[in-house]
Amino acid sequence: MNKSAQKLDVTPLVDESYCAAATQAIRCEATRLLTEGTVAAVIGYQAGRRKGTAMPTIVSSPEKAAELIFSSACVNNLALYLTKAKKEVRGKGRLAIVAKGCDMRALAGLIAESQVKRDELVIIGVACAGVYASGADRAAPLTNATIARKCRECVVHLPEGADLLAGSLPQQPMLTPLESQELARLEALTPAGRWAFWKEHFSRCVRCMACRQVCPFCYCEQCLCDRNRPQALESTPRPAGNMAWHIVRAMHLAGRCAGCAECERVCPMDIPLNLLNRKMAKELKELYGYEAGLQPQEKGPLAEYKDTDDQSFIK
Amino acid sequence: MHHSKKHAFEPKIVAFVCTWCTYAGADLAGTSRLQYPANVRVLKFPCTGRIDPVFILRAFQKGADGVLVSGCHPGDCHYMAGNLHARRRFAAFRTLIEFVGVDLDRLEFSWVSAAEGGKWVEVVTELTNRILTMGPLEEFKALEAEECWSGKLDTPELQEAYNNI
Repeated sequence: MNKSAQKLDVTPLVDESYCAAATQAIRCEATRLLTEGTVAAVIGYQAGRRKGTAMPTIVSSPEKAAELIFSSACVNNLALYLTKAKKEVRGKGRLAIVAKGCDMRALAGLIAESQVKRDELVIIGVACAGVYASGADRAAPLTNATIARKCRECVVHLPEGADLLAGSLPQQPMLTPLESQELARLEALTPAGRWAFWKEHFSRCVRCMACRQVCPFCYCEQCLCDRNRPQALESTPRPAGNMAWHIVRAMHLAGRCAGCAECERVCPMDIPLNLLNRKMAKELKELYGYEAGLQPQEKGPLAEYKDTDDQSFIK
Repeated sequence: MHHSKKHAFEPKIVAFVCTWCTYAGADLAGTSRLQYPANVRVLKFPCTGRIDPVFILRAFQKGADGVLVSGCHPGDCHYMAGNLHARRRFAAFRTLIEFVGVDLDRLEFSWVSAAEGGKWVEVVTELTNRILTMGPLEEFKALEAEECWSGKLDTPELQEAYNNI
């Protein structure tokens, strides 16, 4: 999706030397925490094999802490490792985790849903000015064309409430909010127009389930879409089942999604999944005044009710 | 010789109802001998809180032209607050499917108590008449009939690879 927004603008967006300071602070804190034995492991990023890339890592000895980095290529939301893929690290004791603003929102959501305990976590927040979009050339500096769409309208550059804030924000330019514009454009279409838009996108879906696997909130032991007898959703990648899957996915994330847009980043078919999440977040804010934030909130909008809730749509 | 006879459109309407209020209400309509369209298929659930949005989707996918969800009035829920939770969930679900492009006139929500046989008749009749004027729900049926990827081979690389097969 970012391709359509690409302009031939190659001027670097921000002075990326701020990442060096953040890297230093992360290494320092990780070494301290690991030598003191406060935490069993640090979940962070290390340099990838190719130049300019980064990948998630779990560091459990102080010597290895020097491998930790932060850069604009640190795209992953590491909160995922607390509930899913690397769940076994949690058994080892307290953990430290490197979190950008959007990851911090996911952590807050997981804490609120009692999936993680705040006092079992040391959150190393990093000031983040934006990360690369998926498929962007990582060798070149971050530009208007290669920044992720979610970062263009980010409101959590500084993850406040973290135990430590690594680095400081550089001067940032104003960027056009492409995602909001796209959302407004879709909302202005007729229902038939929107159906055509989503049909085109969902029909491409190959049901690789990457959007589910990468989502920190999709932590169900057995997903609804994997169940048969009774089968709620068709599991083959046919247009009908795809449409149902994406509606169900958006519904299950409504009022929970932290807006990290990982689903959209990992989608091999470039389906603009974050638009659905954004739409639900917007509606739930309008209806119930709920917004995903950096602090854990007691209950999500769909887990509680008020006597005064709107019921104008019910006869 | 086979004669294809054209039938007038009869809407298929699926009603998800709660057993304590609306089901009893519909029962009352029956025992009171009130007349209402036979287009509605009633499915009984313990509570509106049990009605998953997936059920509604599934109904549309499997050929329903309209869906009705009905339960107890606020404060009357047998399980204290099931309908109030459902109220929020359906408010969210409505906006979601509207954003995806489903016409919300095909989806109706109502509170019908066990004493409101007349209201049940009213709700069902109105919905049936509305769907009758709207015609069958074609979008989901067309989707159901599609077997494969509808994307186009529109990039030069794909086109070249395709030509080389």
